[in-house]
Amino acid sequence: MKQFGKILKFELRNYLQNKVFIGITLFLVIALAIVMFFPRIMEHFSGNESGDGERPVMLIANDSPEHAEMVQAAFAAVFAQYEVRLTDADPAAVQEQITSGEAECAFVLHSLQSYTYYVNNLSMYDSNPTTADAVLQSLYRTNAMIENGLTPEQAEQILSVQIAHETRSLGKDQFQNFFYTYVMIFALYMVILLYGQMVATNVATEKSSRAMELLITSANPVSMMFGKVIASCLAGLLQLVAVFGTVLVCFRLNRSYWAGMESFFDMPPELFLYMLVFFVLGFFIYAFLYGAIGSTATKLEDINTSVMPITVLFIVAFIVVIFSMTSGDVDNTVMRVCSYIPFTSPMAMFTRIAMSTVPFYEILISIVILIGSVIGIGVLSAKIYRVGVLLYGTTPRIGAILKAIRKA
Amino acid sequence: MKLELNNIEKSFGEKQVLKGVSLTAEGGKAFGLLGRNGAGKTTSIRILMNVFPANRGRVLLDGRPIDYRRVRFGYLPEERGLYPKKKIIDQLVYFAELKGMGHADAVRSVDKWLERLGMTEYRAKRLDTLSKGNQQKIQLITALAHDPQIVILDEPFSGLDPVNAMLLKDVVREEIAKGKIVLFSSHQMNYIEEFCDSIAILNGGQVVLAGELHEIKRNYPRNRLVVQSAERERILGELGDCCRATENGALLITLPSPADKAGMMKRLTEHYDVDEIKVFEPSLNDIFVEYAGNRS
Repeated sequence: MKQFGKILKFELRNYLQNKVFIGITLFLVIALAIVMFFPRIMEHFSGNESGDGERPVMLIANDSPEHAEMVQAAFAAVFAQYEVRLTDADPAAVQEQITSGEAECAFVLHSLQSYTYYVNNLSMYDSNPTTADAVLQSLYRTNAMIENGLTPEQAEQILSVQIAHETRSLGKDQFQNFFYTYVMIFALYMVILLYGQMVATNVATEKSSRAMELLITSANPVSMMFGKVIASCLAGLLQLVAVFGTVLVCFRLNRSYWAGMESFFDMPPELFLYMLVFFVLGFFIYAFLYGAIGSTATKLEDINTSVMPITVLFIVAFIVVIFSMTSGDVDNTVMRVCSYIPFTSPMAMFTRIAMSTVPFYEILISIVILIGSVIGIGVLSAKIYRVGVLLYGTTPRIGAILKAIRKA
Repeated sequence: MKLELNNIEKSFGEKQVLKGVSLTAEGGKAFGLLGRNGAGKTTSIRILMNVFPANRGRVLLDGRPIDYRRVRFGYLPEERGLYPKKKIIDQLVYFAELKGMGHADAVRSVDKWLERLGMTEYRAKRLDTLSKGNQQKIQLITALAHDPQIVILDEPFSGLDPVNAMLLKDVVREEIAKGKIVLFSSHQMNYIEEFCDSIAILNGGQVVLAGELHEIKRNYPRNRLVVQSAERERILGELGDCCRATENGALLITLPSPADKAGMMKRLTEHYDVDEIKVFEPSLNDIFVEYAGNRS
């Protein structure tokens, strides 16, 4: 136990003194802080630009003069960001004004039911025609009702009728939980792939530098394996705390700029607890496998091909979960099965807990299986490690290793 | 303190690497474990240190099965290697701690050893900035800093210059004088001959020769004489088949029986101008070649 503590401390210090580790963490923290401050920064800039200064010009040319005033008034009300100007110019002259930059866009109305929209560069997000459609539609209907004998007030009332509705979710709100489920699954995915590789490389480096000769005679392989894996898990969690902590603090500072997003950051505490449990257990199970594989590699270059089967297994689990999440049906048979298999349950069970209603006993069974598997795979990987690190030469096949473990 | 390997057998897969190896090493003495590459030296050492268990046989300390939680081993592996990118003091303290030392004791002991080996100036440097010989000295500290009762040195002299080799010899002598069991494994026979009181030669997973080195030498038939003389050619010509020239310019005379020694000595001193006559004792190198050479 004392030895395990020493190993844990040493390995953790390795991570915290690693320049790449510090660099990546700092980069992520800064990048996310910029993202979270982006709306405020944007507003700062755009505020300076348009505030009291000139607004871009929108031209209205009308073939049927009787509606001209009414159309301008309606457009001016809707397009507040434009200076809406009525013009008598013919379409060719209007186009000329737009290309020369005098006006930004123009509606040339043929009647209330048809118009041509002129703009210099059509932006991907230009919603002016859609807005104009709605305005004209409303004008047309009002006119039609007035012509049929209703007063303008009556027409207004009919058109502006509102339907009151309310949605009450008795289980989970999938839309709201989708966000942090997605973030957690993705974080788990990234951290396992990144740190799993790190554990594998760490072991393989010790082996290829022959530091292993001394380590294996100084320390118990189980302490060694658990020390390494738990250290990398702590380093990963620390990195996540730094990253998500930054996001949360920046969100608090910019709360008013992220209106409507509050619910994404208000994760229920019990869900957070489940997230932590599944995250740590899921991390362990893969990190042990990565460590065991690292110990069998003879050269550092072999690592990437050796860890391939684990990486593929993990990616398949990731894809199943993401597909089920986006399809909205997180309780399908595949997901149910996956939420008990230790390699997939961290992602699958957590997704189900977050986005659907799962009985507590199911969660408990899943966690118990997972804990059992973590211990089993941990001990197995320590055995593979003990045999693997002393095998130089060609990278052995799985069968040969298992045989060696049984004999040893 | 007496360390015994008792009839150890070990197989990896189909291949039997050790076929009943028995050794005895005593405290306050150095023991030489010899053998060609692949003879089973490293496997024996690993079983001794409990890296993996033997298929059969036992490791005993003072007649009882060894308790690995109590006995401290110091090991200088043949394949050297530490953490190249880490500070020397950090990794030395780490290894001492892994062997059960407290942090403060570990730092104190490592500093003492750095000073003893003249390495104090490299204390805060990274290992890979050191020369090969100096890295070797750092590796030696990992084997000794935690004051082990049993010290295992695998090829300790390879890569050391004569000055450092002298330093290492002094250190090893001190460790032996402290009553520790020191186990040497080397191909450099002159060092083994200098240090080791007893040896064992492994060949093909078996001990083919074991015992006190001077006994082994004495037990060789004493029927051969080494002669230094200015009249080499004359002696060679007149003694005929029983006499041959050796590489270093001496003559080696083989007699039918040890009892003929005195007669031959008398004859040589009376008839020829002889500088030196002595009974031939084989060097460890000769013994090694004879026992380890042909049976692998």
